[in-house]
Amino acid sequence: MTRAMNISDVNPDWAWSPYKPSAESPWDIRCAAHLFRRAGFAANRSELYSAVQLSPGEVVGDLMVASREGEVFETQMQALIRAALASGNAKQLSAQWVYRMLRTPRPLLEKTTLFWHGHFATSAQKVEVAELMQTQNDLLRKHALGDFNTLLLGIARDPAMLIYLDSVSNRKSHPNENFAREIMELFCLGEGNYSEEDVRELARCCTGWEIKRKKFRFNQYQHDGGTKTLLGETGNFGGEQGVALVAKQASAPRFIVAKLVKFFVMDEPTVSERLVDPLAKKLRKDDMNVGPTIQRILSSNLFFSSHARARKIRSPAEFAIGFLRSMNGSADAYKLADSLHELGQGLYFPPSVKGWDGGRTWINSSTLLGRSNLIRQILDHSKTRFAKKSLADYLRQQEIKDVSSLIDWIEPLLFAVPIPQAAKSRVAKLVGSDDDRMKDAIHILCSLPEFQLA
Amino acid sequence: MRQPFDRREFLGRAAAGSAMVSLGAIAPDILCRAAEASRSDQRILVVVEMAGGNDGLNCVVPHSHDVYLNSRKQLRIDRSDTLAVTDELGLHPSLRGFADLLEAGHLAVVQGVGYPNPNRSHFESMDIWHSCFRKDVTRDDGWIGRYMQAMGMEDASDPPAIHLGRDKQPFALMSRDVRSVSIRSLDQFRFAKNQSMDLKAAIRELSQQRELTQLVAEPELQTDAGQNDLLAFVRSSTSTAINASDQVEQASKQLARSSADYPNTELGRQLQTVAKLIAAGMQTRIYYVRIDGFDTHANQAEAHAALLRDVSQGVTALTNDLKDRGEADRTLVMCFSEFGRRVAENASKGTDHGTAGPMFFAGQKLRSGLVGRMPSLSDLDHGDLKFHTDFRQVYAAVLKEWLECDPEQVLGGTFEPIELFS
Repeated sequence: MTRAMNISDVNPDWAWSPYKPSAESPWDIRCAAHLFRRAGFAANRSELYSAVQLSPGEVVGDLMVASREGEVFETQMQALIRAALASGNAKQLSAQWVYRMLRTPRPLLEKTTLFWHGHFATSAQKVEVAELMQTQNDLLRKHALGDFNTLLLGIARDPAMLIYLDSVSNRKSHPNENFAREIMELFCLGEGNYSEEDVRELARCCTGWEIKRKKFRFNQYQHDGGTKTLLGETGNFGGEQGVALVAKQASAPRFIVAKLVKFFVMDEPTVSERLVDPLAKKLRKDDMNVGPTIQRILSSNLFFSSHARARKIRSPAEFAIGFLRSMNGSADAYKLADSLHELGQGLYFPPSVKGWDGGRTWINSSTLLGRSNLIRQILDHSKTRFAKKSLADYLRQQEIKDVSSLIDWIEPLLFAVPIPQAAKSRVAKLVGSDDDRMKDAIHILCSLPEFQLA
Repeated sequence: MRQPFDRREFLGRAAAGSAMVSLGAIAPDILCRAAEASRSDQRILVVVEMAGGNDGLNCVVPHSHDVYLNSRKQLRIDRSDTLAVTDELGLHPSLRGFADLLEAGHLAVVQGVGYPNPNRSHFESMDIWHSCFRKDVTRDDGWIGRYMQAMGMEDASDPPAIHLGRDKQPFALMSRDVRSVSIRSLDQFRFAKNQSMDLKAAIRELSQQRELTQLVAEPELQTDAGQNDLLAFVRSSTSTAINASDQVEQASKQLARSSADYPNTELGRQLQTVAKLIAAGMQTRIYYVRIDGFDTHANQAEAHAALLRDVSQGVTALTNDLKDRGEADRTLVMCFSEFGRRVAENASKGTDHGTAGPMFFAGQKLRSGLVGRMPSLSDLDHGDLKFHTDFRQVYAAVLKEWLECDPEQVLGGTFEPIELFS
């Protein structure tokens, strides 16, 4: 076993070089399970066994690309979205997204779309027009693995976002600072990388931007045509130029990379500048095309190292969707969406424009009780199926005869750290393999602190 | 005597059913600590966070000031509509409850509270209020968390702090070793049953086996980055959750109905729960609730009025409720926001992020009335009010005089406490 290495001593070159399996760090199903937990919403046993037949780089490569299967799925989803929109209820949209996460053949695309939903957070609580929320969601998915600058400009003129930030009108007599501030603070640069003066100047650049009849439009009579000085540059900038100037700052790729590393690699500690810099430089070189950066992160030594393994707390979506996907499960999507909301991750309902802080903030007494109860609820619900079977039938098909073999089967699949021996011995004392007994065993195992780690 | 867990009931359940796994002789340590007084005379602090940046100028209104009248053409509140405090200042008409408390000598309004070099980001300013530090230093804990740590509350039998709400736990409550409890609603604060095993007892025991699990963890995943802090955090949080669910379940059984007139809002229900838990004899010292929506960039008037009504009515109902239950004299309510708003209104009938603002306190031992002075409306900093009382001076008074704790180690510096109490 290699001796403890502090994250601050990690060499950035090594960190972001492609991971090569070795005897010390084998590419096994635990390792593949780690990749699928982070790059998507976990994988079932047969997917893991297929993955270890390929190289880690090949598996990540496959996760990046679109497929024929994906197109067919997308057509199905469009029908579901239309039905959800017809209801006019954003909760239906939320359920639709849960279904998508459960079934998608492109889990990385979905995971990254969720990342951007937290980054460009907008809540249906305030926006109220479900259709606009979906337009934004489509935009996030379209550019999720693509060009950040395009996505940023799209969001800057996105009706749902502008409604959310009270910026449906921006007049030259009183420029609206709220929206200008969030672009710099939360979307692009991070607090401390701009001044209050920059906030005011960017607000002036974007004067004349409005939402009328659910659409973005430019009202030139309300545009301040004067000279602005923004982030050290002076000119007669319009909104597009202002936003582009922000995205051009050196702190932009650093801000995005740091957030991606936190999302995909580790909750703690905050990734150092030393580790961020090389990836940020490459992101800039890629013209802010984030796909290659995400691919680098997911293929890296650091990602597969002990600094990353089990160093994240499962988000509610990872917790619930991951549980089901690991066992070919399907469940009542509407109820599940509601539960995610209760656990702090309402899809289409982030808590603020800052999105979800993640990490330790997912965990408190209420959410821990709620997580345990959610597993129970999923197991007990009449619509829950595992590969279209009851739990007992599914496990029998997996050749699980008793609680002991269930523990051995479930551990590499669902757990990022080993289940403590004490817990195993205790649960293994349960006798029988009927549906109720298996449900009870899974209920206990998934209530363990270890199960909260991704 | 209130026991958080009934011994007979516990043993009875453990013995029932052949499938039930025996717990052996190990009784949860919570039983050993059950011998505590049912009623405590310890003081309690209820924090009400008004999130989004409360427009202080339209709370304590300088209704006749020229600058106010000129800066707030759409949003100004007429003198005749305000609830008079002094000749120059009146409360927003929605703050009727606060005005009544003031009349009774139970409300203090600390004016012009802020901090040097104000940050106008919601998130950063809120973090500053919660932690007392700026982001250039590592911030792992909050001021209340450090208070609990300083008082050695990590072994308290009842949760030292309870947060009511569905949002994430406030940063102010974060502590190295003391875990606060978050409760969405009393009804949902319990574990679903497991027929095969006493789930709570099992998870409690397994969550507490820190050292043991470290040793038996399989070496291949015994990480070379050392111990997993996240796992340790989840384990202690799980123990806390299980203990708290027992205690709250017990406390819930003793809840008396209240006659007080709480607003029919989430905040109203949360404050009512606070009163119930206090009356049920929980040893909890801190309760924390949050009301969002004060970020009134557009169409402020109506929204702000509703929010203020909610806060004022809620706090007044809590005060009256606690008075009926004989708990009012040991409870202090503190309302704060991360910043005030710009003096000049914007073009959307709203106001943008500002700086200094008032804090509201309700309680029986306060120096009632206005504390400190109204910030100058003519001497502004980029259109914003200049603070003259550092929020840490306010915390210092609360810590020193109310919670009886040395403020210095909690606040990370010396701050002269304001004169808040009589």
